[in-house]
Amino acid sequence: MSRLLLLLITSSATLLVFGLWIPLKAVVAQELLEIAWAESQARQTASRPWPWADTWPVAKLSMPDLGDSMIVLAGVHGESLAFGPGQMMGGRGPQGAVIIAGHRDTHFRPLKYLEPGNELRLQSRDGSWQSYRVHETRIVDSRSEFIDTRQLPEDTLLLVTCYPFDSMDPGGPLRYVVEARSQQTDTVAGL
Amino acid sequence: MMFSAILSKHSASLFCPASPSMAPHGYRRVSSQMGWLSARRKPRVQSIMEGVSLWLAVLLMLFVQPLYAEASTGSEDSAGVLHFVNAKGQWQEPALVLGSDFDVRVSGLIADSRLVRTFRNTSDQWREGVFVFPLPETASVYGLTMKVGERTIVGEVQPREEAKKTYEKARDSGRHAATVEQQQPNLFTTRVANIPPGATVSVELNYQQLVGYQDGIFELSVPTTLIPRYMPGEPLATSSQQWKGGWAVPTTEVPDADSISPFTVDVADVAVDSHRASLRFTIDAGLPLAQVSSPSHQLATEQDGGVVTVKPQAGNIVMNRDFVLRWQPFAGQEPGAAVFQQRWDGEDYLLAMVVPGRAGKTRLPRELTFVIDTSGSMAGESIRQAREALQMGLETLAPGDRFNVIQFNSQPHALFVQPEMATPNNLARARHYVSQLQADGGTEMAPALTMALQSHGRGVGELAEDASPRVRQVVFMTDGAVGNESALFGQIRRQLGDQRLFTVAIGSAPNRHFMREAARWGRGSYTAVQDLADISGPLARLFTAMEAPVLTDIEVNWPGQSVSTQDDSFPQRPGDLFQGEPLLQVVRGVPAAGELSVSGRLPGGGKWQQSLDLQQAASGTGLHRYWAREKINSLLDEARVQAQEPDKEQITRLAVEHSLMSPYTSFVAVDATPARDLESALLKDNLPTLLPAGSQSGMTRYPQTATAAPLLVALGLFGLMLCVAIAMMQRRAYP
Repeated sequence: MSRLLLLLITSSATLLVFGLWIPLKAVVAQELLEIAWAESQARQTASRPWPWADTWPVAKLSMPDLGDSMIVLAGVHGESLAFGPGQMMGGRGPQGAVIIAGHRDTHFRPLKYLEPGNELRLQSRDGSWQSYRVHETRIVDSRSEFIDTRQLPEDTLLLVTCYPFDSMDPGGPLRYVVEARSQQTDTVAGL
Repeated sequence: MMFSAILSKHSASLFCPASPSMAPHGYRRVSSQMGWLSARRKPRVQSIMEGVSLWLAVLLMLFVQPLYAEASTGSEDSAGVLHFVNAKGQWQEPALVLGSDFDVRVSGLIADSRLVRTFRNTSDQWREGVFVFPLPETASVYGLTMKVGERTIVGEVQPREEAKKTYEKARDSGRHAATVEQQQPNLFTTRVANIPPGATVSVELNYQQLVGYQDGIFELSVPTTLIPRYMPGEPLATSSQQWKGGWAVPTTEVPDADSISPFTVDVADVAVDSHRASLRFTIDAGLPLAQVSSPSHQLATEQDGGVVTVKPQAGNIVMNRDFVLRWQPFAGQEPGAAVFQQRWDGEDYLLAMVVPGRAGKTRLPRELTFVIDTSGSMAGESIRQAREALQMGLETLAPGDRFNVIQFNSQPHALFVQPEMATPNNLARARHYVSQLQADGGTEMAPALTMALQSHGRGVGELAEDASPRVRQVVFMTDGAVGNESALFGQIRRQLGDQRLFTVAIGSAPNRHFMREAARWGRGSYTAVQDLADISGPLARLFTAMEAPVLTDIEVNWPGQSVSTQDDSFPQRPGDLFQGEPLLQVVRGVPAAGELSVSGRLPGGGKWQQSLDLQQAASGTGLHRYWAREKINSLLDEARVQAQEPDKEQITRLAVEHSLMSPYTSFVAVDATPARDLESALLKDNLPTLLPAGSQSGMTRYPQTATAAPLLVALGLFGLMLCVAIAMMQRRAYP
């Protein structure tokens, strides 16, 4: 019995540790990414946050209304999303739609507080900030709806995360999409 | 909330002292061994444990609670936005199950097809089905019949607007109705109104097409799906319409974008028995066949005398790939000429085919520009085929040739600033460049064409240095996934000069209309590549053919020689012929008597002439429809060349007379008596088309954006709490 109990304790504790490890990793990684981002900006090249990383910071997303900001990584494969939101599309040149996806449990949890009219700011590697304003938020079903990347207006920023925010199911079909439109380019370099 | 409440209650009962007799005997020793350790601190440990478990319970409740809070909020606001999602946000398969049955009869050079589409309504509401589908690019649709239960309603041709009104009136008054209209020469929309709940309505479409013949091989392709088209230009509507269910919105360059871009889904997303087609080919070639094959599907062939019956071996096929059928006469028996005649409505129609012989080769140095489509629609299998095809093209270059490689998606990009000599060094660079090509972005063809056709122009001054004349050719490899074909043909015509444009169709469902017409306007030829295994044969033929046109300045003289005869023979100005290509002519008003003479110039400058005895003509069917379609095409061409509006009235008159579908005429069939009482609602169902096999959707799927963290934490906490509970239970049981 006690052996069984021990097994149960160990497995539960392992689950708990793994469960807590994910948000912890998300927080710690962002700190490391901040350093890598500063380095990317200084050198104007993609610099990896740690030597074995398969992704690198490409932008900094800031939500002034929520007092939150985070480093955005290249690509959206599962591993990189654990460290920061990933840029699915865009960022090539000043024009073009940008799509950023992030985990609802970690970095993109604040998305639920965004409302139409809120400001979003995106800093590219050259230090310039592009300002967006939230246009609408909506819920889509990922099984029946796709992002038609060829039809997106050029000045769009899409933030995508899973929905509902408090769901336990990591494989749910619903997505929460925040669509923002750019405002006049803010050429003042950020710090 | 409820769940956690039950849990806490449950845990509470676990903390109650349980009767000792409940414990299994084997464990008594263990607990008594442990007993001496804890005996002293028992009360303290117990209170600590109790405290810990309480805290765990609270934590668990915090984690589990949102799960239930969320269930009530739902996602009501997503209603209406989603294409196949109902008001409660649940995924729904389309209520209509689509079946297709092709029955193709080939006789001579014309294949006559009967296509029956069945719409089975699996819901308990009345439905209207809308389905966008492709037909062969040379198809002339000439009949529509609707079957509801036992009743058969024969459709008729009406001018497009009129047909639309007739259909809408019938739909709104609750009667069975069906209509088919042409969106592009190879894209059609069918609408079926008032499909009763649980019932099936079938729509039979009759069309005919010309059998392809090249290098002694007959070929027929039956498209089953369409590649999602790219719509250049700015959206006309400013709302976020382009989100809605995958239907594109009209743009400045493609005003009919919304009617030619159905929702494209994966095979797995439709009902198991939907989007399946059965096919049956009956080939009466008129000469013994050596081989019947298909590069796209496995075949089951049966021969009965001179007639061959072909079916796909797998029975029903999934409609995500063009069905291509090839048949071949015995070597040495390939037809070199053929004449068919038909008398219809008091007029004589003749169809003649002549295959010029092989010409001796005089190879001139070439200037070859390869243009490769690297847009998003090419992603997957297509880009691999295109890369492979391009590598093969590079191998055909000989020293002394010049070449360049241009790739395009949203923007064109050229390997060299201007065409370079085919030195080993340059070729190695090109090979590397080609192997690195990736498919992504839009399909902006116009700038790429300009770059390819104009770069030749720039090279002229420099080329004058080496005196040898060069044959200038452009090889265009694409899936033709564009919606603005017409504008592109105009551009090719304007920029072509003395060059030739050859098109290579890539992928499992290319836009063959674009390929054929672009090659025609570009005075070249078109080749389709089915899959990687089938790539070398067709391309080798193309690259051989490209080395020199076999016959130029072709003149066709029908007996009689009257002006009206010349006006009524099509194509009016036959283009140049390449190796293995036949010359096809159709004429009205010439009886099957006398001789047809065809002449042209050979590459060496010699004259070629052949005459054909028309009395040998075999009787054929459907020639008048082929003639009418050619006439309509020539009227449309004329309008394009003169940049004018086509003669709508003449085309409508011609189409109605021959009972043909055209850009300005549609078919409509309406039942006489209403079937649906107007109280019950009619729901519209836009049937999706399948994504062509091997291609990746241009539309991005939403990524997976949740972690298992909350689940893991909840499970971990729950497990720990259970442990504490069990431990305490044991302790109480055996102090």
